[in-house]
Parts: sequence; C-alpha cells; structure tokens
Amino acid sequence: MLPLPDLLLWSLAGVLFGALISWIPGFHIFNIMALLVAVFGVGELMPVQAFPFFAIGAIVAYAYVSAISSVYFSVADESAVFLLFPTQRYLLLGRGHEAVLLYLIGAVAGTLILVVGALFIFPRVLPPIYQATSPYVTYFLVAIVVFMFMSEWPKEGDRGKTPFQRLWMAWRQILGGIFVFFLSGILGFIVMNTNLLPTTSAYTRLTPMFIGFFGMSWVILNILSNPPMLEQVPEDRVESSIYNTLKASFGGALGGTIAAVYPIITGGMGALVAGHMTSQRGDDAFIISQGVNRVIYYVGAFTLLFLPQLRLTRGAAAWLVSSIYTPKSYAEYLAAIGAILLSAGISFLFTYYLSKFIARSFNIVHIRKLSYVVAVTLVVISYLLTGPMGVVVLMVSTAIGMMAAAFNTRRSYCLGGLILPVLISMTGHTGEIMSLLGLR
Amino acid sequence: MRGFTHYISGLAAATFFPALVSDLRAGILIPVIVAAAAYFPDFVDFKFGKFFARRDYEIDPAPWDEKKHYAPKLVKISELSGKNRYQFFAVEGTVREVLSRGSGRVSYKVIDGEGNERLVSEEYRSIVFILSDGTGEITVEAFGDDYRFFEEEFGEIEEGKKLLVFGYVDVDEDGSLRLVVSDAPHPQGIAETIARAIEEAYREGERIVKIHNIRLPGDVYRRFTVHLDPPKREVRVKMGPIVTPGGVAIGGDVPEYRRYGIAKVDVPFIKTYPKPTRIDSFSGPEIAFRKAEFKGKTVVKDRFLPWHHGFSHSLTMGMIIGLVVFTFFRLIGYGHATELALASMIGQWLHVFEDQLGFMGSNLLPPLTKDVVPGFKLGESGSGLTNFSTAWLMIALMIWNFNRFTDPRPIPISDAKLLLLLIWPSIIGFGIAIARSFRLRREISELMDYYTNLDAFEELEEVGGI
Repeated sequence: MLPLPDLLLWSLAGVLFGALISWIPGFHIFNIMALLVAVFGVGELMPVQAFPFFAIGAIVAYAYVSAISSVYFSVADESAVFLLFPTQRYLLLGRGHEAVLLYLIGAVAGTLILVVGALFIFPRVLPPIYQATSPYVTYFLVAIVVFMFMSEWPKEGDRGKTPFQRLWMAWRQILGGIFVFFLSGILGFIVMNTNLLPTTSAYTRLTPMFIGFFGMSWVILNILSNPPMLEQVPEDRVESSIYNTLKASFGGALGGTIAAVYPIITGGMGALVAGHMTSQRGDDAFIISQGVNRVIYYVGAFTLLFLPQLRLTRGAAAWLVSSIYTPKSYAEYLAAIGAILLSAGISFLFTYYLSKFIARSFNIVHIRKLSYVVAVTLVVISYLLTGPMGVVVLMVSTAIGMMAAAFNTRRSYCLGGLILPVLISMTGHTGEIMSLLGLR
Repeated sequence: MRGFTHYISGLAAATFFPALVSDLRAGILIPVIVAAAAYFPDFVDFKFGKFFARRDYEIDPAPWDEKKHYAPKLVKISELSGKNRYQFFAVEGTVREVLSRGSGRVSYKVIDGEGNERLVSEEYRSIVFILSDGTGEITVEAFGDDYRFFEEEFGEIEEGKKLLVFGYVDVDEDGSLRLVVSDAPHPQGIAETIARAIEEAYREGERIVKIHNIRLPGDVYRRFTVHLDPPKREVRVKMGPIVTPGGVAIGGDVPEYRRYGIAKVDVPFIKTYPKPTRIDSFSGPEIAFRKAEFKGKTVVKDRFLPWHHGFSHSLTMGMIIGLVVFTFFRLIGYGHATELALASMIGQWLHVFEDQLGFMGSNLLPPLTKDVVPGFKLGESGSGLTNFSTAWLMIALMIWNFNRFTDPRPIPISDAKLLLLLIWPSIIGFGIAIARSFRLRREISELMDYYTNLDAFEELEEVGGI
C-alpha cells in the first residue's frame, strides 16, 4: 500500500481531474479514464498502486459534479416535444440551482449511507447474500428488462377518436421502446462479438456506443432544440421536506445498492425498481434520490473492488483499474472509505460554487455553442480510443439514442446495447445469433 | 399496490418451487413468466382495457394542439361553437374594434375549504374588443387579474394590433360567442357535464365519464379536483395550480372568480371513495355512475376506473392463466409445466390478494360472483409503506428459498432464523400500516356518514330542495 501522504495526493488529483471534466455535457468519467490509460498509460506518471485511489477521487467527483451538466446543459426546447426530466423543469422555471442543491442533499446522504454501510454492514451482510443470490443474476436481469417493457406507461392514447386509434397511439410508444432496445442490442452484439473495432481497444470497445446512446444524442438534441437560456435564481433555497428527503434517500440507496452489487443492472434500472418499491413521488424526492442513487451506484460499485471478503469488479472503471492493480488489504479498504469522504467534501464544495457561478452567468455562453464544442470533442475521443470504425459506431448509436427521444420512450432502453449481448452470452446462444446475423 | 410489488410477488412465487429454482440456477429463464402472470391484471387493464372502455361523456377542458400535444389548441374562430363553452383555446387575430374599457367594483361568491360560500368584493379593470382572424370574428373580454396579465403581455390594445389570445369560450344570452382571457378553462363545464351524467345514470342505468387532464407547455399540468357532495346534491369542480408531473405546485393559481364550478344534481347519489378526485399529470380518470340500491333507496353510485379491477383481477382469471401456461409449456415440452402453471396461478392470485388490501376491491370469482368485494382498506394503492413492506417480504422470501434449495447452503443458519433475520423490516412496516389503517377507517367512516346522509338529504327535500 502507498504511504498515506501519496495516497491522499493521488486521491486529490483524482478529484481535481474528475471535477474539471464532469460538468461538461456528454463526458463520462469512465470514457475519460479509459482515454487517460490509453494515451498516457499508468505506471510511468502514476504508480500502479495509486491508480485505484486516483480513480476513487475521480468517480466521487463525477457522481457529484455531473449534476451540473444534467441540470444546466440538458434543456429541452420550448415546445417540449419530449417529456422533461424533473431537473429540466426546474431549469425552465429558473430554479436550476435549487435542483443542484436537491441533488447535493441526495449525494451527501448517499455518501454517508455508503460510508456507514461500507464500515459496518457490507463486510458482514453482502458476502452471504451475494453468495445465495449470485447464481440467479440472469433471472433478476431478465425480470427487470421484462418489467421495463410491461410497465412502460403510455403517455398518449387518451385522446384518440376510436378505441383502435387510442390503442395504436399508446402502443406506438411502447413498440418504439422495444424497437430501440433490440436495435441497441444488435449494435452491442456486433460491437462485442466481431472485430469491427480494433483488438487494441479491448477495454474501450463499448465507449463510442455509450457516448452515442447517452452523450452525443443528448448534445445533438441540445443543438437541434436551441433551448432558451432562462435567467436562473442563484439563491440557496430548497423546497422539500424531511420526510421526502428520508424517503428519497432510502429509495435511492436501495436502487443504488442493487445496481452496485449486481452486474449489468445499471443505476437507472435500480432506480426504476426502487422507485416502484418505495412508491416514490414528487420532483424534489426524485432529484434527491438520484443524488443518493448515483453516488452509491458509481462509488459503491467501485468500492466493492476494495472489499477483501468479496472483491467484486463492478463497472467499467473497476474493470479498467483491476486490469492494472487490484487492492488486496483491509487497510486499503479503510483508506478507500477515507478517500471517499475526503473526495465527497471537495466535490460538494466544487459543485455548489460551480452551480452558483453558472446560475449567475447562465445566459453568457449559449448551450448551443458549448454543445458544438462537446460534440467535436466526443468524436475525437471516440476516434482516439477506437479508430475510424469507432466513429461509425458513435454515429449509429447516436441515431438510436435520438430515436428513443423521438418515440418518447425511456432512454434507458438503449441499455439493450449492453444487456442483450450479455444475456445472449449468459444463456449460451452467441453462436446461433452470430449465424443468424450472418456474422460468421 | 404498485405494479412492481405485484411483479416481484410473482418472482417470489416462482422460487417456492424447487424445480423452478433448479431451472433458474441452470440458466433456464422460463420462470420469469410467473412474474409476468402476477403483473398481468394491470398490464391488461392499462395497456388494453382502458382504450376499449366505453365513454358516454368525454370531458376535455383544454383540447391539445394536434402538433404540439399540449393545450391550448390554436383554433380558427370559425371552428368554435356553443359546444366549446368553458373549453380553453388560443386564437390568433387582429383587433378590429375596441368596444369598451371599464373599471369598477365587482362582487362574487367563492367557496372556502369547507365548501361554504362567501362574498368577495374587489376593484377591477376590463376591456372588451372584437378579434378577427379572417375566418370570423369573436368578442374578447379581459377582466380583473386577467386584464392585468393581458396588459402586461400586450401593452395598450388598439385597433389593428395582432394578438395571440388564450382563454375559455363563453356563450352570451343571445347565443353569440365570447373568448374570456384566462390561463385555464372554466370549471363550470366539467361540473355541469358530470351532473348531467349522474342524472342520466339515474334514469338509464349507467353513464361513463372520461375526464381528460390539462397539459400545458413545458410538460406541466393544470391540476383540478372533482368533488361530489351527495347531501348537498352538488358536483363541485375546483381549478387548481399548475403542477409538474411529480406533483409539485409551481404557482399559476387561477383567480377566485373562475376557480370554482358548481352544478346541482336533481337525483340522489352517493360517493364510494371519500376523497375528491384529483386530475393532473399522466391521464385523466374514467368514472362510471351506476344506478344502485342503497338502504332501500334508488341512488347513483360512482365507480372510479370502471375498466380496472374487473375480470382480469379475479381468482377465476388466475385459474385461466394457470391453464393456458400449463397447456402452452406442456406443448413445447417444458419439463416443469405443472409447477410453472401453479406458480403462475399463485402469482396472479397474490396480485388479487394484494389489491384487496386497498380500497377498490375486486369481483373475486366471476361468474359465480357478480359484484366487487370491497377492499380491506389497509392502505392506499400508492402507499410507500405497504408497497415497500410487501416488496421487501418478497425479496426476503426469494433469498430464503434460494438458500434452502441450494446444497450446501450458502448461508449456513437455520431456515427459521434466516427468515426472521430477513423479514423484520416487513413485519415492522405491516405493523405500522395496520395501526394507521385503524385511524384511516375511522376517518373514512365519518366521511361516509356524511356522504351517505340520505336522511338529511330527504329533510332538505321536504323544505323545498337545495
């Protein structure tokens, strides 16, 4: 294990790195870390034992600071063709800073829950529960996917003139979601199982696809919608209640933990399950629970890499780090928890002051201009990581991501890009599907 | 209960069958069918049933613009008629003539939280002008708070000025149309239509009313509530604030003079659910008004979402599901078709039982039973406590079953001890829910006494009606 001063220094470097890039729309810490490893490598500029702590700082910073991009730089157009996220509604009402504060309340609650859990609960409870349930992960995964489809709420259909017209209006949205899921799945299957992308991009072959699904499509929508840059109130005022905060924290923690512990189940899927389980309602509760969920999902999942009795590798960052160095001792586990607390404190302050700054100067740089710069950067990242074919994958996945918005369905259907190929592989049908698609 | 609670109950039901657990461990995922069967009643009702349900009256206070999918709909003046009275629209046109500008003091009645009327008096300013859009002309009136808003938006109104006017349609005594500047429809139209449906149901047997919600630009909704008051023989509709889909009010309250709509009903009716019906995001409800006998009298009873909790939510449907699952999976050669069918039937039955804990109840064994058995009123369907307690119990049962059907056991403690360790949060949750339900039942009982106070209602009739 590294000496404590070095460990702190690398954690701080991680926080700084994460904070500086995480507020930019479309950037994801996993992609940037992969780029860092691909371009600079680890071991020369940074000792290998330091990498997990650098990563923890960066991931904590991402879990906090990414609130800025999702609140301020994801504005829908005035006509609101697409349903808005609660954070977007806050922004349209000039209450973007309030949304960030709500998120931060959740993020702090998530950090505390995570730290208490990591110190007193995870080491005792997680290993036996995981032992008993891990053979059934595919069952849970398929069950969540089936539930996603079955529970899609038809947002239209009430105003059709005939019953069949109403049915069609409702089902075109549901069918749109299924279409997006399978289209994403086919793309993911091709990317994972063919040599479309260079073998040198082993750790980053999914990166352009995910940038397209969730980053680039978002940025392009910002460009197309040309949203209004409404004046924001930078006041420290939050409308919520203790009851809502506690309930949202509980729901967020539940969803985040499910997603952190079980492979392939993402934060969004965990939030869907937990939101239904705790019957969560209200925009304030939703944003708070998102803060809790994202901290536990991203940071908690990565922390499992440090847990000596379990040492689960969950999430792209954990896979990237474990390919270079896996922490082994309980001392490293405790040091990681300390690094989480330290990083969370710094990230909180950074996010808070950045939000105040952006709220005050929100209409100085138009989001459309920023989006152009980000779009170019995302293309460059994809090219550097995966070459020209990576850019092609990026374009296709961007189109699929935009389709989800156009069909007014859940954006999370794009996770088919990951879920479907993994399910096919888990059930041993990869060969048959390869033949069916004419890929061999 | 919420959908996921039912769904996870199905997931848990499957794990009580060792053969199915063994299949799951081997990567055979067919038992997911059990969860789908448990969710099936809501899936059928909300994805199919509601679209085929009959609608005798369709109340759309603010029709959607067909391109933008929110209100107000931009219409030509020639498209408007008396049928659109109280509906919310937008008209774009040119001011042809200013008829009057006025000011003075106006008095009007408003209703407080208890339903009592009081008189309000206030200063007002107003303007009346003719708007023309090439297809026709309409009189536009802006008054009071709406005048202030209108002036802020457009400045001085002069002839030749182009405007986009929002407002509700009203009809003058001579039958001519007026567009009253406003940011919401007038609730009177909703109240009158519901009252008419109740009266028709008393004569004809049943009327189903579909009430659409009011969606505004920016994915926000104008909330309104429908309150049936049987002793007063009134339908009262209150226009509320603008809310987000998450239910957070973001201001935009309507002025008091167009906040309430009240319609008198000529026939006796009772209300089966003690709260006002709230309409905001997602979709608006359907309410069936049915002629029924109550304490020896003929009355009209309401039923919320008449297409919901019907045959799909019966034990009979569970047997049919079991039979279909068994037949299909036996035909395709699945070795554990019997266990799967039994688990699917139990999953669906769990759904029926869980819903029975709430208010609506279900017709449990059609065709042997004809009517709904009232729910146990343990908590509302959206109650976080009962949903979580049930879902947690199901998770606990799954872990428990996975453990006891695995050899060697991953968690090497006795079954009873493990079960207790896992389910204590649910025991506490259900305990609190049951304690709360006593209070809830008392409140409901008091309210129902009021709602079904037919004796008082008859006395009022004797002295000349309400």
